[in-house]
Amino acid sequence: MSVSDTNLASAPRRANRSSESVARKVARNVGVPVLSIVLLLVVWQAIVVGFHVAPYIAPRPYQAVLAVTQNWSTLWPLVLGTIRETVYGFVAGAALGISLGVIMAKVPVLQRLVYPVLVLSQAVPIIALAAPLVLILGFSVTPKVVIVAWIVFFPVTVNVLDGLSHVDQDLVNLARVYGAPRWRTFVQIEVPATATPLFSGLKIGATYAVTGAIIGELAASDGSSLALYQEHANTNLNTAAVYGTTMLMTVIGISWFLLVVGAEVFATPWQRRTVARRSWRRVADQSEGDSAR
Amino acid sequence: MSASAILELRDVGKVFGDTVALEPTTLSIEEGSFVAIVGPSGCGKSTLFNVIAGLLEPDGGEVRLHDRPVTGATGHVGYMLQKDLLVPWRTVEDNITMAKRLTGRVSSAHRAEARRVARQYGLGDFLRHYPSALSGGMRQRVAFMRTLVTHQPLLLLDEPFGALDAQTRLEMQQWLLQVWKDTERTVLFITHDVDESIFLSDRVLVMSPRPGRVVADFVNPLARPRTVDTLTEPDFVVLKARIMHLLHGGTP
Repeated sequence: MSVSDTNLASAPRRANRSSESVARKVARNVGVPVLSIVLLLVVWQAIVVGFHVAPYIAPRPYQAVLAVTQNWSTLWPLVLGTIRETVYGFVAGAALGISLGVIMAKVPVLQRLVYPVLVLSQAVPIIALAAPLVLILGFSVTPKVVIVAWIVFFPVTVNVLDGLSHVDQDLVNLARVYGAPRWRTFVQIEVPATATPLFSGLKIGATYAVTGAIIGELAASDGSSLALYQEHANTNLNTAAVYGTTMLMTVIGISWFLLVVGAEVFATPWQRRTVARRSWRRVADQSEGDSAR
Repeated sequence: MSASAILELRDVGKVFGDTVALEPTTLSIEEGSFVAIVGPSGCGKSTLFNVIAGLLEPDGGEVRLHDRPVTGATGHVGYMLQKDLLVPWRTVEDNITMAKRLTGRVSSAHRAEARRVARQYGLGDFLRHYPSALSGGMRQRVAFMRTLVTHQPLLLLDEPFGALDAQTRLEMQQWLLQVWKDTERTVLFITHDVDESIFLSDRVLVMSPRPGRVVADFVNPLARPRTVDTLTEPDFVVLKARIMHLLHGGTP
C-alpha cells in the first residue's frame, strides 16, 4: 500500500484563524467590548439628562471622570495602595490555593479532613473577619492582603482539586508503562492537564480580588485608602467623586482580570491555535538537520 | 521455551474480588509475529495486556520477556489503546517524543527521528500542529508513531482502530501491516472484530469470559501481503466461521 500525504489532509479544524486579518481580530476582541462600555456610558448620560436627575443623586459620566482626573494627585497613591493589596493578596491566595489543591488531590485523607474547613472559611462573612484580623495584624497592609487571599484561594483550590482528580487515568497509566517516575508524570501530564480549571479558578479569584481589597480597606483602614476616600466623598454629598472612585475600582478589577486572561492565553496556546508558535529550540533543530526533507 | 519466543506467560492469572478476570494462562509469543486476540467484553483481554505491561500485578505466575522475568515491572513494552491519548498541549512532534521526555531528556536526535518517522508515514506537514487539528485516523497514526519510537520490541495494541469508521479502519490496518513489516516488531493486537483479527495476524487467540481464558489458538494460514481480496478467500471464511462459532458459545 502506498503511504502518501495526499489522502490524509482532511483535518477537521483548519488553520483559518491565522488567515483572518489582524484588523478584524482587533475589532472583534477589543472593539466590541469597548463599544459596549461606551454604550453603557451613553445610556447612563441619557437617563441622567432625560429624567433631570440632580447631580448629588447621580452625576453625569463626564462629571464622574472629572472628579477623578482633577484629584488625580490625591487619588494616585490610594490607587497604588489598592493595587498593591489586590496583587499581593491575589498572589498569596493563588499560591495557597494551588498548594492546597495539589496536597488535597494527592492525599485523600487530607482532602476529607480539610475540605469542610475550607467550605466553612467561605461561609464566614468577610466583614466579620476584619475586626479580629485587625486585632491580630494591626492597621497595616497585611489584614487587607489576608482578606484578598482568603477570597481568592477558594475557587483556585476547588478548581485545581477538581482538575487533578479528573486527569485521564489511562494517560497516567501510559506514562507508567513507559516507565516514567511519578514526579515527571505529575509535571508533564497532570499539571498541564489542570491548566484550564486552574485558570478558571484564577479568573474567578481575580474578579473578587479587588472587592476583597476594598472590603479590607473599609474594615481595616487607618486613614488613607481608596475606600475611605469614597466614604468621605459620600458623607460630603460629592456624588461625582463617589461614582468616579467606583469607576477607578472597577478599572483596577477589570485590568487585573484581563492580565490573568492574558497569562492564560500565553500559557495555553493549544486552546486557540492549530499550529504551535515557533520556538528557539525548533528553529535550532530545523537549521541543524532538516536537509532530509 | 522455544528459542525464538519474545514473550512467555507461565500460569499468569488475576482475580478481582469474586470475578476471575483471567484464569491462570500459559502462552508463548514468537518474536516478530503478529498475534491477534479476539473475544467479547469481559473476557480478560485488557487484564492480560495490563499484566504484560506491568500495570497489574498478577495473582500468580510469571511474565518473561526475552527470557527475563518482568512480572509487575513497567517500561518494557510499547502500549497503545483505542483512545489515542495524545496530549492536547503538545505538538505532533512533541507527542511522538513523549516517552523520552517522561523518562529522560529529548535530544535533537530523538526529535529528528520523530520528524523522520512522521514524514515517512505521511504526517510530515503536521509536525507543529496540535492534536486538535488532526482527524481521528491521523491521531491514531501519531499515537502509533509515539509507540514505535519507544523502540520496544513488543507492541501491545488494545483495539487501536476501534473508534474509527470502517473505511479509515481498513486504511489503518493496511498501514499497520506496512509499518510492522518495515520495523520488524512483535505485535499483540486486541480486537472485537473477527475480520480484523484474521486480516492482520499470523495467529489468532480466542478468549472467552467468566472466567476469562484463552479457549483457542489458531494458526492463520493466509499468505502475505494481505489485500482487500484476502477478506473473501476460502481460508479466511473458514477461519472466520470457526472463530465465530467459538465466540457464540460453541466448543473448540
